[in-house]
Amino acid sequence: MRKLLVAAAAITLLSAAPVAAHHSFAAEFDASKPFKLTGVVTKVEWQNPHTIFSLDITDEQTKKVTNWSFEMGSPNGLMRNGWTRNTLKIGDVVTVEGSLARDGSPYGNAQAVVLASTGKRLFAASSRTDAQ
Amino acid sequence: MSSVRYVALASAFVIAAFYTAWAQQGPSASRPVQSTPRLADGTPNLGRVPGEKGVWNVPYIQNMGMRIPGPDGKTIAERGTASENGGRGGAKAEPDVPFLPWARGIYDYNSRNNSKYDPEGYCLPPGGPRLMATPYPMEIIQQPEHKRIFMVFEGATHIWREIYMDGRPHPQGDELNPTYLGHSVGHWDHDTLVVDVVGFNENTWLDYYGHPHTDLLHVIEKFTRPTKTTLRYEALIDDPGAYSKPWTVAWNIPWSASGELTEYICQENNRYLLKLTDDFGQPVLGGP
Repeated sequence: MRKLLVAAAAITLLSAAPVAAHHSFAAEFDASKPFKLTGVVTKVEWQNPHTIFSLDITDEQTKKVTNWSFEMGSPNGLMRNGWTRNTLKIGDVVTVEGSLARDGSPYGNAQAVVLASTGKRLFAASSRTDAQ
Repeated sequence: MSSVRYVALASAFVIAAFYTAWAQQGPSASRPVQSTPRLADGTPNLGRVPGEKGVWNVPYIQNMGMRIPGPDGKTIAERGTASENGGRGGAKAEPDVPFLPWARGIYDYNSRNNSKYDPEGYCLPPGGPRLMATPYPMEIIQQPEHKRIFMVFEGATHIWREIYMDGRPHPQGDELNPTYLGHSVGHWDHDTLVVDVVGFNENTWLDYYGHPHTDLLHVIEKFTRPTKTTLRYEALIDDPGAYSKPWTVAWNIPWSASGELTEYICQENNRYLLKLTDDFGQPVLGGP
């Protein structure tokens, strides 16, 4: 019986939040280049196949501001992970964790987002399979 | 075995039978193994039980080379001896896949460029077994009165397939128009739904890793539901245009008791395709 319960628990975990998969993660992003960045939300595109949001991120030393963009999963995948279209609002301060783009541009694949106002951490339905 | 043990064993079976009967009707979502739901005529129900929710949570199967059952019936992935996330070894890493030389070359190319040109990245649908390997929920709707079965897929392109259960043959000659999902006819072999699919176009890959196929592809799928919460999927891939002999892949698809399908329209804002450049740095789309 214990084995059965363990199996049932494993199935429950597997069915909790499916990943999204659209284009090749590895073709665009480098899993060996993780980042953790904090900034102010300037734009949110709640769209398929990827929700993309932008942050103004200030370099602590130079004080230079760079506008970064991050792709997450699609709205269906995000809603299964606890998001709504109003979770991110212009002006919110958030911290993003994920993988950098291979081409060196200020772009990344977000795997988790932490909202500064509540401390709430949400998974971003990333197409990177080991992101959850 | 002593008579006491017999009685204990028999009692356990009776209790288990009552428990199963109760579990099928009970409102709780967390319970041990639940038996296969069935339609009124006894056919396995591959979909929802009336009054309940539920979808199949299709897993992300990236590499079908790791899903070939061995002599023990288990695949490399199920034995846990290797990870699909462990990097791309190309055709030489997959001795069990019977590549023809050109298919081996294409597969190695797809490995080297990390599946940059995956048709799913273009928002084109998965074809063949990849329908059951693209991680968006799926529902199976049986219509025995109409002798057909629908499979409805939230992703990758919000599509459905229809499986004809009325005994018709595949169209012959030019009547068989090559399509993304092909032409599916099915029948029940005891508790196994067997689906025969031909008529594929060549615009899809078998999986994310980029195993190619041709329009000679012939797939024989087997669906079983050994318990309420598991769909076992098996597919024979017979493509003499790309592989020297047929090969079989298999995996389990878990049930999500509270799941429902939602909308996913891949084509809305596909920036990946707008940014995609070819091997010479030229845009794949657009340009003069």
